Amino acid sequence: MLKKLKELRKTCLKMSHAGKDGNLQSVFSSLEILYALYNGVMNWSPQIATSSERDYLIVSKGQATMGQYVVLSDLGLFSTDELMTFCNFDSRFGMQADRTKFPEGGIENSAGSLGHGFPMAVGVAMAHKIKGKTNNVYVLAGDGEMNEGTMWEAAIFATSKKLSKLCLIIDDNESISKMLSIGSLEKKLREFGFAVANCDGHNVNEIMTNIKSLQKEAEMNQSPACLIAHTVRGYGCQTLMTDPSWFHRFPNDEELKNLTKEVDTFCENK
Amino acid sequence: MRKQMIDSVSKVIAENENTSLFLVDIGVWGFRDVLKNYSERAINCGIFEDGMISIAAGMSLSGITPFIYGISPFILGRAYDQLKLDFCYQKLAGNFITTGAAYDFSKLGYSHYCPEDIELARTMPGLEFIAAGTPKEFEILFNSTWNDGNPTYYRLSNYCNKFDAKVAFGKAAVIKKGSKGVVIAVSTMLDSVIEACGDEDVTILYYTTLVPFDGITLRENLVNEKILLCEPHFEGALLPAIIDSVKDCAVKIKCVGVPRKINRNYGTKIEKDICFGLIDKDIRLEIRKFFNN
Repeated sequence: MLKKLKELRKTCLKMSHAGKDGNLQSVFSSLEILYALYNGVMNWSPQIATSSERDYLIVSKGQATMGQYVVLSDLGLFSTDELMTFCNFDSRFGMQADRTKFPEGGIENSAGSLGHGFPMAVGVAMAHKIKGKTNNVYVLAGDGEMNEGTMWEAAIFATSKKLSKLCLIIDDNESISKMLSIGSLEKKLREFGFAVANCDGHNVNEIMTNIKSLQKEAEMNQSPACLIAHTVRGYGCQTLMTDPSWFHRFPNDEELKNLTKEVDTFCENK
Repeated sequence: MRKQMIDSVSKVIAENENTSLFLVDIGVWGFRDVLKNYSERAINCGIFEDGMISIAAGMSLSGITPFIYGISPFILGRAYDQLKLDFCYQKLAGNFITTGAAYDFSKLGYSHYCPEDIELARTMPGLEFIAAGTPKEFEILFNSTWNDGNPTYYRLSNYCNKFDAKVAFGKAAVIKKGSKGVVIAVSTMLDSVIEACGDEDVTILYYTTLVPFDGITLRENLVNEKILLCEPHFEGALLPAIIDSVKDCAVKIKCVGVPRKINRNYGTKIEKDICFGLIDKDIRLEIRKFFNN
């Protein structure tokens, strides 16, 4: 794992400890995807965060929001000090973001209720198409979210309107298989007309490479794209990967020390 | 009113590149020219109100003001969560125009009724609610709100008032002044209220903007501490707004409106009005009882 990703995970642990809340398993599952998007895929920087030329990232999987905060902070959009106000009464940084609190950009949508972000992203991509613009629109969704009917309504619309600048990234941490057997997401999305690829969702280079080749395919097919990024809940911290109680929990002082150490010593081959 | 709505929306779509129209397989014939001439922006999406409203929010996020036309329960009821979270919470502009009112589609059954619309809307802070009584009033209210940057809901009805009142967004119209009390006529109730009041010495206030509610005009015109509220939706739906407007006064209030029950009858809209006591003669009796005792 990149040293930087370990640092970001440790910042998440500190935020969760400070704000006394967190979906750390979901955040750690999405972190490489978010990092890859902002550091090699998207046309985005703090300097163009409100420019009409920027690429968009819509976070449909709201539980990953803390990951977005730390990646954007790493790029200089927010200060680490402000991140540590996480979940305070008058903080800008909640468990799920409120876009109206971020006039400097970065947070494009207010997430929380699953099944809303992807259709909104389809609307953003459609608006760009109408305006003749070529901005890419990325969406981070969870595999569990694919249970929502609105995700498939939006998929039909996106294919029908040939939204080739739209790229859905599914953080597939096998949430859905714990509830229902949905079968192959890949086959379903192909049937819905998407260009689809699979990758290791914790390998930054693989994420970047796959998105780039998917976008070429999508452009050629005039179809939307979908990357199914295979991930592990709580990745990068042994306890979070193995103890389900960490789905919605924050570390106390002692746990913060232990989990931080686990992140430091995490070895990908384990 | 539907024809006026089609004319008004079509004009806006034709004149403004940064607008879009979504139909839920409703109004396709009426909007046929717009659908043909602006096919990139004017779309009959088919039947998926909730996903479509999120898509519309995404378009609004990118600077394209969306118009959505559908049947009231399928917009306000089925897509409540999308209106609340994607438009109101995220402070996005959008226009939601519905046909059907409380029970205009009387023969289609309860699934197509929406007497609860204003109460649902009032639970979404930031959502404006327009209920014009005539086509001309719709045109005036629509033109002053569609581009105001807020989410706005427009209730259409096939059963309009006969005469146009002088309406303005956010303002109640004073139809006449009297001394025995105030009768509030909401939207399409105005004809029945005027007829029912006859030469009774009462004030009539006419509301076509239901959110934001014009409490100032009510307070300024409050006489004899009596208010009779006549609504074409669930009875008493606007009571909280009225109480909030006159909360420092002891006021006696009587409500006339659609009873709060699942209505299982069919027939015509007028038959329902008769059944619910929403026609002139019934309202007249209420007025006499309320203001003369």
